[in-house]
Amino acid sequence: MAKERTGSYPIVFLTLVVLVSVIALTVVNAVTEERIAANKREAIKQMLATLFPEMADFVYAEETGLYSLYDERAVSVDEETGESSVDQSFPAVGYAFMTNGKGYGGEIGILVGLEIDRTLRGIRIIAHQETPGLGSKITKTDFLGQFAGLAPDQLLLARDGGAVDAITGATISSRAVAEGVAAGLVDMSAILGAAEEGGQ
Amino acid sequence: MSSLAKNFTNGIVRSNPTFILLLGLCPTLAVSTSLDNAIGMTGAVLFVLLAANVIVSLIRRWIPNRVRIPTFIVIIATLVTIVDLGLQGFAWSLSQSLGMYIPLIVVNCIILGRAEAFANRNNVRNSVADAIGMSIGFGVAILLISLVRQLLGTGTLDVFNVRLFSVPGLIDNPASILLLPMGAFFVIGLLLALFRWVGVSECE
Repeated sequence: MAKERTGSYPIVFLTLVVLVSVIALTVVNAVTEERIAANKREAIKQMLATLFPEMADFVYAEETGLYSLYDERAVSVDEETGESSVDQSFPAVGYAFMTNGKGYGGEIGILVGLEIDRTLRGIRIIAHQETPGLGSKITKTDFLGQFAGLAPDQLLLARDGGAVDAITGATISSRAVAEGVAAGLVDMSAILGAAEEGGQ
Repeated sequence: MSSLAKNFTNGIVRSNPTFILLLGLCPTLAVSTSLDNAIGMTGAVLFVLLAANVIVSLIRRWIPNRVRIPTFIVIIATLVTIVDLGLQGFAWSLSQSLGMYIPLIVVNCIILGRAEAFANRNNVRNSVADAIGMSIGFGVAILLISLVRQLLGTGTLDVFNVRLFSVPGLIDNPASILLLPMGAFFVIGLLLALFRWVGVSECE
């Protein structure tokens, strides 16, 4: 095999390989891009639906990170294309946003659902790397169910003066969730105020 | 045995990437928590390894020696990105549970190792046999590890949401330590010891 070629040949060869790779990836990306976006949206929608069963669709504001949820009155489906659209002049049925807490094994991604009067509807854990069998219990309804209806100043563990009972053996994970939700509410309060005024 | 058959079985037994060569252990340890993950990972490795071996073997006469490793990496990275986008588009939940271990196939030594040690020196037919054999070897290994970890770590055996069976008693009090990273080391170490012990006469 005469492989020991010198001069500019290796440069030309590698450039060609990269070019072919770019073309292949451009094609694959074009084919999958829409499906991936739709899958991501569907995953979020299903998660939101566990908190808001009455929700028909949602609108996501990229710059604020706020999800505004609407029931079927606001949703209309285009008969020709099959695409659904949301009429935002209808009142929202709730709001949601993502926040995170510093857990034992890394960041815990939390979805927070709010009623239109900004009281807590509930929370869901989106992503976590907590210890299986201990910290991973933060995803159980026993723990998550406590959050419904809590006021911002109650979002602390009971031993810290709040209203959230920690999971046995997983104080750090439990605290991370409670404090993550509290911090997220603080960050979101201004945005929520604006959303409420705009919606009226 | 013909050389084709030899190249095929080589990866399954004599040069099993996980149990004999100890290659690509990072994804093996990390995703072997459930059989679903193991099946998905095996499929991804099979696709990438097969395609990488075929492409490298096809163009092996034109690959300049001095840039062969960058060439392999570009080819492998392209294939892995295709798998990653394909999974996200067509098998969303699997892509979520495999997470970052799909992109990490790029640096999986099994694939780079086979491109360098085999496909770069052999024809396409033998490279295909090598890729399939190696993938089966990897698949058998990761499935075995996942089987032990899932069964003892959760007390149940579920495959794609179908419960095959559960162990009464273990299900309420599973050995969840096996699902932790250290559990992966325990299981792989014990399996390695077992295979060495069983196969010691054949190897020598």
